[in-house]
Amino acid sequence: MSIDIRNISKRFGNFVALDNINLDIASGELLALLGPSGCGKTTLLRIIAGLETADAGQILFHGEDTTDKHVSERQVGFVFQHYALFRHMTVFENVAFGLRVRPKETRPSETEIKRKVHELLELVQLDWLADRHPAQLSGGQRQRIALARALAVEPKVLLLDEPFGALDTKVRKELRRWLRRLHDEVHLTSIFVTHDQEEALEVADRVVVLNKGHIEQVGTPEEVYDTPASPFVYQFLGDVNLFHSRVHAGWAEVGKGRIAAPEAPDAPAVIYVRPHEIDLSRVASGDALHGEISHIRILGATIRLEVDVEGHDGVEVELSRERYQDGGWQVGETVFLTPRTVQVYSNPQ
Amino acid sequence: MAASLTVNRSQATTETRWVRYALTGLALAFITLFLIVPLIAVFAEALRQGWGLFLAAFTDPDALSAIRLTLITAAIAVPLNLVFGVAAAWTISRFQFRGRSVLTTLIDLPFAVSPVVAGLIYVLLFGAQGWFGPWLAEHDIKIIFAIPGIVLATVFVTFPFIARELIPLMEAQGSDEEQAALVLGASGWQTFWRVTLPNIKWGLLYGVILANARAMGEFGAVSVVSGHIRGMTNTIPLHVEILYNEYNFVGAFACASLLALLALVTLAVKSFIEWRSEKLAEEDRRHATEE
Amino acid sequence: MAFKQASVLPGFNLSFGYTIFYMSLIVLLPLTALVVKTSSLEWGQFWAIVSEERVVATYKVTFGASLLAAIINLFTGLLVAWVLVRYSFPGKRLIDALVDLPFALPTAVAGIALATIYAPNGWIGQWFAPGSVLGGLFGSEGLSLAFNPTGIVIALTFVTLPFVVRTVQPVLADIEQELEEAASSLGANRWQIFRLVILPILWPALLTGFSLAFARAIGEYGSVIFIAGNMPFKSEITPLMIISKLEQYDYVGATAIAVVMLGVSFLLLLAINGLQWWSARRLGRRN
Repeated sequence: MSIDIRNISKRFGNFVALDNINLDIASGELLALLGPSGCGKTTLLRIIAGLETADAGQILFHGEDTTDKHVSERQVGFVFQHYALFRHMTVFENVAFGLRVRPKETRPSETEIKRKVHELLELVQLDWLADRHPAQLSGGQRQRIALARALAVEPKVLLLDEPFGALDTKVRKELRRWLRRLHDEVHLTSIFVTHDQEEALEVADRVVVLNKGHIEQVGTPEEVYDTPASPFVYQFLGDVNLFHSRVHAGWAEVGKGRIAAPEAPDAPAVIYVRPHEIDLSRVASGDALHGEISHIRILGATIRLEVDVEGHDGVEVELSRERYQDGGWQVGETVFLTPRTVQVYSNPQ
Repeated sequence: MAASLTVNRSQATTETRWVRYALTGLALAFITLFLIVPLIAVFAEALRQGWGLFLAAFTDPDALSAIRLTLITAAIAVPLNLVFGVAAAWTISRFQFRGRSVLTTLIDLPFAVSPVVAGLIYVLLFGAQGWFGPWLAEHDIKIIFAIPGIVLATVFVTFPFIARELIPLMEAQGSDEEQAALVLGASGWQTFWRVTLPNIKWGLLYGVILANARAMGEFGAVSVVSGHIRGMTNTIPLHVEILYNEYNFVGAFACASLLALLALVTLAVKSFIEWRSEKLAEEDRRHATEE
Repeated sequence: MAFKQASVLPGFNLSFGYTIFYMSLIVLLPLTALVVKTSSLEWGQFWAIVSEERVVATYKVTFGASLLAAIINLFTGLLVAWVLVRYSFPGKRLIDALVDLPFALPTAVAGIALATIYAPNGWIGQWFAPGSVLGGLFGSEGLSLAFNPTGIVIALTFVTLPFVVRTVQPVLADIEQELEEAASSLGANRWQIFRLVILPILWPALLTGFSLAFARAIGEYGSVIFIAGNMPFKSEITPLMIISKLEQYDYVGATAIAVVMLGVSFLLLLAINGLQWWSARRLGRRN
């Protein structure tokens, strides 16, 4: 089912949580709402679910206005950040809840409920835990039960609030892949909220980057990573070096070198370069930046060098282990830096 | 017992053995003098002249009528405050509105008011010279010096118990589970009966037994509105007072021992609930870490 | 800002409406009646009633005994909480449960039990009677524990015993051992650690427990009258004064004194709320 979000705004007192949000979500899509805490992503998710009411705007499910529909009638599946499993019920009863509270006419028979719950528990691979209580489960298990419970009512949309937020790194990575596979199987329109850019890029079909209540960019993971629409997106999606300079006739001078900025107007500018998109050399080429290696940090598969460039101390350069070993770099060496890809943001003053 | 006076703390953070013994001894002496001896005294005095006289105290029709009135009073006051407690806790713990903290403070008010004043306010409302006195007399309705007055005074003094037990509990639990139930299609009442109530049932029971103990044992407030009519408007505590003032000590203490027993049961249930929740929490932790 | 923030949870109107209705009926309306009744008095009349010599004497007895009982509990409550949290000994669970006895035991039962054992011929009173071992220490008259102001203090100490213990206990249990280990590693001895590290953390809880005990003691009636002796000007408490005015059908007099007590209750309730707010803020800041 497709979802249209039209001109949604929401304030809490003087705080603007969402400022005129417009977004179309295609049927069957897996969408990530990505942003720092306080950007409004959870509020937007809760408004879509009907758990929060917007001050203005509309939510359309499959072209139909659901803005005034109560949450219990929207047929959405919602997975809460801390799972909100019913602590006094067994895993089985938790998953069965949504079926049991249906009005008599539409309530499935007891055998039908049993069959359905076990089917879902098998889908999340936890059938053997049916008689446990939520407090007796690990975080990852609770997460999957919460998902099974949400799916039991055959929702038209699946909404997940920070689904991996409360888990440790290893379980997180496993569950991420598992969720992606599950989505490929059931093809349910799904939206999840996250503050972790890696998670969003790995799992989602499309990523919506939110900041201070408005959308910075919408696009596929490649689009938002390779062509960030704003400095915020650039910075939020990974480590970055900033060079403050002034563009003059398509070039920005940095120390003794310069960086090409062919399309930028003549104005003060900030140039963004990712650490792994810098080439390192011992040989001075025409435009390369001059610097001196001040620190070398071994981070497992990648090596991070810090290079002091005139006017910009601590420029980070990331190399693969092979390239680092081939180069044989040492602290104190003079090196020349050539950015492969740059993003120039002019800020005329 | 000295040998087992152990401490599972590091050397640096506990006192020398003799200080520990001295402090423990002092605390136990105080508890003994002020709690244990009076408790034992109630039963000892009741049985001072044997079981025969002890049991005879309960065959007195006045005693029986006092027991009946006490049970009726508690059976009305506790459910009334139970409904209020749940409503107040739902309002305060689940919604943000203006005057929320004022409302929370007002609920505590009956705890701060002297029981005697609590009785007096109903006399001023419903007594012969009270606001509604003439009207009540005209319609031949008796509230003061009658059972309704006793019930009202008891409702007042037990008013905060259940609400106070539930508010912090429900605030700590948060409303996530209720929201989840609503998303899954449950109606408001379904959410309340199937999710909220099972989650607060132990806290509710806790509040109920405390309120019940107070309702059955209230003396000051009830004393003001009762009129002490024997066999009619005496609750057990008032009956105890009358017997004591008539120097019928065995009778007084026999009835008192009934109330003391109620207090002990109350404490036992309270300890059981605490012990149970501790044990469950520990079991769950063990289970969860086994995975 | 609107009166209430929007929420998806149902039932606000019903539960809020019922809460206000029931509270008005049971608590607010009757208390208003008390104040309205007093306002029919002129200030001079009111003052004459509440400042009458015998009534003033009851204030002194009530406040003095309540203050003393609360102070006794400040120390013993801390001691009991300390022993229950820090040490283990046989029967600890039982003692812990028993601390709540004064909350569960009807006051009249406590009253007659205390009067009986602290009377000059009672289990404990006899040790302090004239000519007895301990009584001798207090002169030829001995020490009379019941039927005088001392008896009132004993009854009030019993009734308010749980307050300080129960406010201090959780705070004491929450103090991390590292804090004391740090102080110890910096060279502090046990007494210094207690005075400089632990006591400042406990202060708000101690004060809260103290004021709760004090507030409860001032209004207490049932447990006191049996052991007090109730002698005018000597061992009469203010609640008893209200009762005796009522027995003489002096409703105006009873009401005036009740208003004074209600005023004090209000002030104490405010003070306790302030204290709890302050201690919550202090705890919050520390974390």
